[in-house]
Amino acid sequence: MAPPAQSQRSPSPSQPSGKGEVSDLKSQLRQLAGSRAPGVDDSKRDLFKKVISYMTVGIDVSSVFGEMVMCSATSDIVLKKMCYLYVGNYAKVNPDLALLTINFLQRDCKDEDPMIRGLALRSLCSLRVANLVEYLVGPLGSSLKDSNSYVRMVAVIGVLKLYHISAATCIDADFPAMLKHLLLNDPDTQVIANCLATLQEIWTLEASISEEASREREALISKPIIYYFLNRMKEFSEWAQSLVLELVAKYVPSDSNEIFDIMNLLEDRLQHANGAVVLATIKLFLQLTLSMTDVHQQVYERIKAPLLTLVSSGSPEQSFAVLSHLHLLVMRAPILFSSDYKHFYCQYNEPFYVKKLKLEMLTAVANESNTYEIVTELCEYAANVDIPMARESIRAVGKIALQQYDVNAIVDRLLQFLEMEKDYVTAETLVLVKDLLRKYPQWSQDCIAVVGNISSNNVQEPKAKAALIWMLGEYSQDMHDAPYILESLIENWEDEHSSEVRLHLLTAVMKCFFKRPPETQKALGDALAAGLADFHQDVHDRALLYYRLLQYNVTVAERVVNPPKQAVSVFADTQSSEIKDRIFDEFNSLSVVYQKPSYMFTDKEHRGPFEFSDELGNLSIGVDAADTVVPAQQVDANDKDLLLSTSEKEDGRALSSNGHMPAASLAIDDLLGLGLSVTAAPAPAPSPPSLSLNPKAVLDPGTFQQKWRQLPISLTQEFSVSPQGIAALISPQALLRHMQGDSVHCIASGGQSPNFKFFFFAQKAEESSNFLVECIINTSTAKAHVKIKADDQSMSQTFSTLFQSALSKFGVQ
Amino acid sequence: MPPLMGIEFLCRVADVLADYLGGLNEDQIKDNFVIVYELLDEMIDNGFPLTTEPNILREMIAAPNIVSKMLSVVTGNSSNVNETLPAATALCVPWRTSDPKYANNEVYVDLVEEMDAIINRDGTLVKCEIYGEVQVNSHLSGLPDLTLSFANPSILDDVRFHPCVRYRPWESHQILSFVPPDGQFRLMSYRVKKLKSIPLYLKPQLTSDAGTCRLSLLVGMRNDPGKTIDSIDVQFQLPPCISNADLSSNCGTVNILSNKTCSWIIGRIPKDKAPSLSGTLVLESGLQRLHVFPTFQLRFRIMGIALSGLQIDKLDLKNLPHRPYKGFRALTRAGHYEVRA
Repeated sequence: MAPPAQSQRSPSPSQPSGKGEVSDLKSQLRQLAGSRAPGVDDSKRDLFKKVISYMTVGIDVSSVFGEMVMCSATSDIVLKKMCYLYVGNYAKVNPDLALLTINFLQRDCKDEDPMIRGLALRSLCSLRVANLVEYLVGPLGSSLKDSNSYVRMVAVIGVLKLYHISAATCIDADFPAMLKHLLLNDPDTQVIANCLATLQEIWTLEASISEEASREREALISKPIIYYFLNRMKEFSEWAQSLVLELVAKYVPSDSNEIFDIMNLLEDRLQHANGAVVLATIKLFLQLTLSMTDVHQQVYERIKAPLLTLVSSGSPEQSFAVLSHLHLLVMRAPILFSSDYKHFYCQYNEPFYVKKLKLEMLTAVANESNTYEIVTELCEYAANVDIPMARESIRAVGKIALQQYDVNAIVDRLLQFLEMEKDYVTAETLVLVKDLLRKYPQWSQDCIAVVGNISSNNVQEPKAKAALIWMLGEYSQDMHDAPYILESLIENWEDEHSSEVRLHLLTAVMKCFFKRPPETQKALGDALAAGLADFHQDVHDRALLYYRLLQYNVTVAERVVNPPKQAVSVFADTQSSEIKDRIFDEFNSLSVVYQKPSYMFTDKEHRGPFEFSDELGNLSIGVDAADTVVPAQQVDANDKDLLLSTSEKEDGRALSSNGHMPAASLAIDDLLGLGLSVTAAPAPAPSPPSLSLNPKAVLDPGTFQQKWRQLPISLTQEFSVSPQGIAALISPQALLRHMQGDSVHCIASGGQSPNFKFFFFAQKAEESSNFLVECIINTSTAKAHVKIKADDQSMSQTFSTLFQSALSKFGVQ
Repeated sequence: MPPLMGIEFLCRVADVLADYLGGLNEDQIKDNFVIVYELLDEMIDNGFPLTTEPNILREMIAAPNIVSKMLSVVTGNSSNVNETLPAATALCVPWRTSDPKYANNEVYVDLVEEMDAIINRDGTLVKCEIYGEVQVNSHLSGLPDLTLSFANPSILDDVRFHPCVRYRPWESHQILSFVPPDGQFRLMSYRVKKLKSIPLYLKPQLTSDAGTCRLSLLVGMRNDPGKTIDSIDVQFQLPPCISNADLSSNCGTVNILSNKTCSWIIGRIPKDKAPSLSGTLVLESGLQRLHVFPTFQLRFRIMGIALSGLQIDKLDLKNLPHRPYKGFRALTRAGHYEVRA
């Protein structure tokens, strides 16, 4: 254990600081070094204790290094331990002196007592001085073969330490192979577990440069090794069990019987006292059953109770970590937890971070049956002493309202909040009422009546003030005093510190002007004048824009500033489902606690072992490279398409006789000007292999999901959608039918205007090689975004051309 | 990095250190740097948790207690580290000391329950559940094999076991079969939810008008559990908008701390009267009525009964040379037990 780096802390009275004491210690140690008098060990021990405590509180005692080493010749194990600790801490800054210690450490590595052997070896490996590695190899090699498991256990970790000091030395000494032997043959489970941890780390780091290492890494998740671990599961310590369970989660069983066997074997782990084991087991179960929808649901049922118990027992930190995981599961299966909502009620004494997460859970599980009770509970918190909590609970009520359940009752509650006359309650509520109106304009009458009674003087927080002003502008025709309230706000323009509020004020007064020109004209003039003189760039620019718009044409200005609005269906800050899936893949890791996938908070070199998920960075580079060579090769490829071999033509005929569009002739369509997109089409392979698709392909959703997670993205493309295409997308079914005509099948689709998302798949005619496609079409920007993944990477280009031309006939180019 | 692994490990380190040092604070760590280093050395290496079983650690590193000091004076051996490596590391029962010997064989089983409840101002129960533990303190020689069964295991909602518990007997007959670690340990923890009855009630009344607020609290027994309820106290946080408070009670003591926390210590409920607290709160100037309300947290302890109703049926011991002494106890206390106003 390395003590913390030197920190400036006031030492306690019993531990004075200063040079005097250190040099005192030095001379005392020197006296004792050579002495063989009886009882010398006791005085040594007192001195050593002093040195260690100085070191720990941050006093630099490296100057006694030499003396410490001299005193280290002792048979007393506590003295030895203290000495090892000291040496381990200061060796790095004194590499020359560290050489002195090598001798006695090496001697101790051959001691009779296994504990001393182990401790000495651990210290030896912890020196972390690069030019001393040559002294490590010998003791490590013999310790790996030691008869005592304690020594072997230390040696295995020692190998990892050596690897981090000098990877080459470690590999050259052939330590990984020795560890692999121990992994499979050692009688002691702790040694095995350490081997597993060490090998995973070494092979993952080596995998990028060595073929063999990556093969070895894959071999760890092969059936025999996994079964070897599973059969010995109960012998492992609880920590080792979590490690092994993590490994097993990466294993892909061959059939469902195997899955059930594994789950039966491990079911009792869900009852383990250690939360880490429980969570690792849950991850394993979830991963195993991804492709079996029914069983997956049963797993949710099964893991519910253990998770809820973990939340209510143990420390708040533990509750928080478990709640984060529950939150993720709740988002995936809200119905499952909807009857357990009471578990997420907040207790007064819980820390705020736990309460906040619980509120998120309550919003997530709210549905028709429990909304009323949940909202009642949330209203209790809103009236509570705890102000941050009150704010959060009001936000939670708002979120539930936006989820569309029982809006009627919730709107009443929100309006009651406004009558509570607490500044912060009013502020939060205003922001919410604004969002609510953006989604449900039909509630405006009720809300406006109450909002109109709020004096703008009582609202100070910028966000709330901006919300109030937005409502004044938007509903100025219904709010009798709107122009006058705005006018008084504009009079105090100078006192308004938030630029956000001033921007809203400008827009609101414009909207008001279009509806009630005579009453607002003066206020508008004042506002534009004040805005033009504003020192904030955005405010100034907006005022200028409005001014010129009005000058040009008032009706145009109205069309720009106050067009008829569509109700918002999904707010833009909602987390995308892809990110959620990715977090789910990283279950039982910090990703879940941070609520973002690991690539968002880690560097590439720190990624965990066995990362299957594709790396976004690499992909985009790949696509860029393809883009740059497009124009020249495309023509080339199209030419080649004209010179189809006869066999390919026959393929095409065979398909067309089934009533499907032949793959090959599509390229000819392109030449006729129906159009491949020029902007973003990637370069096809120089001689595209022919590809025909199985018109009756089948793939179950589970397999699709699994493949989608495992395969890397072969291609990403962006197309533009023609107006006809957008018109046809009014019913997304049209696209599905169309694509099916081209042997591309839809497995899932969803979304609301303007965003549609489709998952397609296709299979090669003669073999079961799959292509998976995600296609996101945004009708407002008229863009289609396509991601293709393929079992057979080499065919993905060909498939993409095919897919693209199928789309192009639908109006997506 | 699995987050729970980190958190669980840190909790375990804290437990072990507290166990060794008899408490855990800055000074104790400063006085025992060496022990702390030794323990950490055995518990974690290069970021991998190793041995965290207190029994094994205790064999490797002796605690700095009086007994070991006495021993060192008598024997002249002053090392606090055992000479040999613990045999248990090689044993198939890793949580048990290799071969303890006791003159008096005894085993104590405690049911300790904590009741969490939320009660609304009108006395309705919003939520009530019990988190319980079966704690065992075993001083048994050799390698004993114990079987513990409950009279009504079906009420248990979810259970978690110490690694020593065999899973199959529980699965088939709800019987706990285990070889216990030596000393005190948590055999099992469980949850019982959807309870209907609570032992104590608290009736708060708050009426505010014209800048002052009258508060009165009434505490009493709801469903008599049959045993005395003691260590009763009530704590609550006064709303920040209150400038002055004057509270008095007819039994127990009332204290208002500087951070506006009010605590009312009752102890036991007297036979002749119901404990009540009343007084006036003065609001900050400008406020007419109170809009935020405190939550009252009730604490109590009931010896001799597990409120969940869980009962131990019998405890069988095998593999023991002598008839041991068996002791059973039960205790219920308030966990998060709160009443809203």
